[in-house]
Amino acid sequence: MLATRRAAIFSVVTLAAFTLSFPAQELTLPLKADSVRFAVIGDMGTGDKPQYETAAKMIEYRQKFPYEFVITVGDNIYDGNAPSDYESKFALPYKPLLDAGIKFYATLGNHDKPNQRFYKPFNMNGQQYYTYKKGNVRFFALDTNYMTPEQLVWLEKELQNAGSDWLICYFHHALYSSAGFHGSATELRLVLEPLFVKYGVQAVFSGHDHVYERVKPQKGIQYFTEGASGSLRAGNLKKTALTAVGYDRDQSFMLVEVAGDELHYQTISRTGQTVDAGIVLRVPAAPQSK
Amino acid sequence: MKPRIRIDLMLKCLVFSALVIPCLLGQTPAPPLTDQDAQAVKIFADGVQQYMTVQKNVEASLRPLKPTNDPVRISEYEHALARKLAEARRGAKQGDIFTRQVTRYFLRVIRSEFLGPEAPLARKTIRQDDPAIVFHRLEVNDVYPENLPLTNMPPTLLSKLPPLPQNLTYRIVGHDLTLKDSKSGLIVDLIPNAIP
Repeated sequence: MLATRRAAIFSVVTLAAFTLSFPAQELTLPLKADSVRFAVIGDMGTGDKPQYETAAKMIEYRQKFPYEFVITVGDNIYDGNAPSDYESKFALPYKPLLDAGIKFYATLGNHDKPNQRFYKPFNMNGQQYYTYKKGNVRFFALDTNYMTPEQLVWLEKELQNAGSDWLICYFHHALYSSAGFHGSATELRLVLEPLFVKYGVQAVFSGHDHVYERVKPQKGIQYFTEGASGSLRAGNLKKTALTAVGYDRDQSFMLVEVAGDELHYQTISRTGQTVDAGIVLRVPAAPQSK
Repeated sequence: MKPRIRIDLMLKCLVFSALVIPCLLGQTPAPPLTDQDAQAVKIFADGVQQYMTVQKNVEASLRPLKPTNDPVRISEYEHALARKLAEARRGAKQGDIFTRQVTRYFLRVIRSEFLGPEAPLARKTIRQDDPAIVFHRLEVNDVYPENLPLTNMPPTLLSKLPPLPQNLTYRIVGHDLTLKDSKSGLIVDLIPNAIP
């Protein structure tokens, strides 16, 4: 059965991580041929100066690292969904990227109105949750505001059919978070993580807490929180035993490159400082005991 | 196309999700529906069905909303839909869908979730999203406020409540359980103080 074959083909090992050891503006990503390159932003839609400055840094980095698309982990537009909000909190700060044909694949956060799914630049095609493929990576954009049994059934079916691609899920609420304001979404974790483990999801990106955090791999999955691409809760990260690297002093965004069995990531602050970088290596999973 | 909610299907879905999702979570499955519960679910499904008929008729009078680059179009659609729905439901009042019998059933399900062994998880889920929310009391035919964040719905609770058609959602606002039309933002009905 396909589901049985698909289950737990891969696990992950975070091979290397470098913290605060890179000069500003230096790219750590390998830029390999035919790799899948994307940026990750979350909780960005404030329309304030730091969002614009972080967006400007993303745009600057695209000269060195030509990423092809951006995923958003929600809270795309804060405090109102008037047409002027779409403009000042999304279309304007990311205009150079949109003009260059860079696609954004959004998920919705708790501050986002459901009808954002009809906003074409978010590429949600009117759906609350959806999946798409880029190169050897299958992405699953989930709606954790409203995790119905129907969505879980859909996710399991899609994961079963995902073949041997990298499996990356992203959504708003972090399943593991050491931040003080929200913390881990424990109940969602109980529902989602068994599916991630069963079908071998390797990486998960979330937001909600307005910090950056990479937690130590949990059950063979690398979790990232990038919820500080506009809004920031400075000093809110209470580093715990979960935390591999955290950063809550400034806004940030992530650049990611998937090449073969390697996922390279680099997290960059509003001012261009690299605050985290490393490699997630996909390795065959250990055989399951019967 | 006439919107139909298959009541038998709704009951099957409810039984399926009430049994399967709690097992996934390592929780005790909900007890089987009694005849009275099944009747309450049927009354609820009929009420939802009636609302969906109104909703579809109103939607049919508007140019369909499709993915667009123009946020003005989204905003205009949303406002027009809410206004026309409110007009079409001018006499709607609290309890039209959440009738007394339906409310009793919902309260039992909700209280088993929020007062039972899984209560800390469910409470954490709803508090996670709005630790600082000022309590808003919404009324039937109100539009969900622009600036009010959504409370994350506990997935275990969603697995125990009757499933809803697309674009109709359960939302917790303060202590109230609301039935919200997600396309228009309209509050279709609510149970005040449902969350203990």
